[in-house]
Amino acid sequence: MKILIADDDSLSLRLLQKTLERAGYEVTAVKDGRLAADEMCRAEGPRLALLDWMMPELDGPAVCREIRKQRSERHVHLVLLTSRDSKQDIVCGLESGADDYLVKPFDPEELKARLRSGLRILQLEDNLLEAREEMRYKATHDSLTSLLNRGMIVDLLARELTRARREKGCTVVVLGDLDHFKAVNDTYGHPVGDEVLREVARRLLGSVRSYDFVGRYGGEEFLVVLNNCDASMALSRAEQIRNAIKRAPVSTANGPLSITMSVGVIAILGEEPKGVDEILREVDHALYQAKDAGRNCCRLAGAPVLTQ
Amino acid sequence: MVMKSFSSLGEFVNLPELLDRVENDEDLLTELFALFQEDLPESRKALEAAIDGGDLGEIERAAHRLKGMLANLSAKPTAALAAEIESAARAGNAQKIPELVSMFDPQISAFSAELGSFTASARE
Repeated sequence: MKILIADDDSLSLRLLQKTLERAGYEVTAVKDGRLAADEMCRAEGPRLALLDWMMPELDGPAVCREIRKQRSERHVHLVLLTSRDSKQDIVCGLESGADDYLVKPFDPEELKARLRSGLRILQLEDNLLEAREEMRYKATHDSLTSLLNRGMIVDLLARELTRARREKGCTVVVLGDLDHFKAVNDTYGHPVGDEVLREVARRLLGSVRSYDFVGRYGGEEFLVVLNNCDASMALSRAEQIRNAIKRAPVSTANGPLSITMSVGVIAILGEEPKGVDEILREVDHALYQAKDAGRNCCRLAGAPVLTQ
Repeated sequence: MVMKSFSSLGEFVNLPELLDRVENDEDLLTELFALFQEDLPESRKALEAAIDGGDLGEIERAAHRLKGMLANLSAKPTAALAAEIESAARAGNAQKIPELVSMFDPQISAFSAELGSFTASARE
């Protein structure tokens, strides 16, 4: 654990440093308040600090105030060191943003125990943030395939359209639906169907660029958003995706299964004032045309339909 | 053996408390004594200059600094005198300061001299 200590008295600084190093801390020692504030305000700076009250440049309470202002997004545990112990001083120190204070000269056991109490708070925050990240992931991802879920992929599409409009770029949206997937479930059972969905997800992710978005739109429907993709490439990119699915049979507990996908695709130029719902309706219509044309093929929305 | 030489400091410092503070690290203690000796002339000069200049704020700061170092070394009686100088300066009680300093000066000189002989004997 990294810790910063700030004290203009070199004797006190050395004593603190040695005590903390012995307790396993990685110590950064500075001799004035300005250096302390700068070090603590770095993004990767320590999250634990022992600050002497009286220091040149900035005093301990001023350092606390500055750190609280600059690093408000994460908790930083600040302990003031003081030889003052009047009630008024303690109140002033805590009001400046310190979490705790220690009266000098310190007792090493008390010092370490106070820091452990700070570490518990930091650990608690870490746990909460981790839990929040996990919930956020679950709220935005499909649990079976780990792709983005429907809500999230539609959200990202809307954001991407706003960006494309601003930058006059082009966005390509691909909607794919596995052919005869119900038969897979009916014949081999849902666990095999799930294996197929997971493998399809992997192949979809493997066929797009790292900054494209892939989501599970419905049971066996997948929505892919290709950011900043040239309109003339829309159909060939859709073909790449379709080929990635059909190229090799999917191996399952029931042996290899041939899987294909019908694909609708639409290219939206930045200047087009189309909304998300309209785009989804049009790409769904293109997908319907691909199904109608015999499945395992791609259709571009807005392209003239060849009739025989 | 080293403990025996530390014990000669017992007149000035509370040794059990000091050894607790450094977690019985005698090398660290020797290092802290050296840091103290190194800093002392400047800190004392700062106090003298502040007294000569009659600057109560500076007297408070200089006394505070001396008090901090002495307290870290558990040199309790001497630290207590420095603390009295500090609070007299803070309270604006300028008349009281010369008397306090006249007690403080010989004590800190004696302590420093004892440390000097101690560090000299430790080098032998």
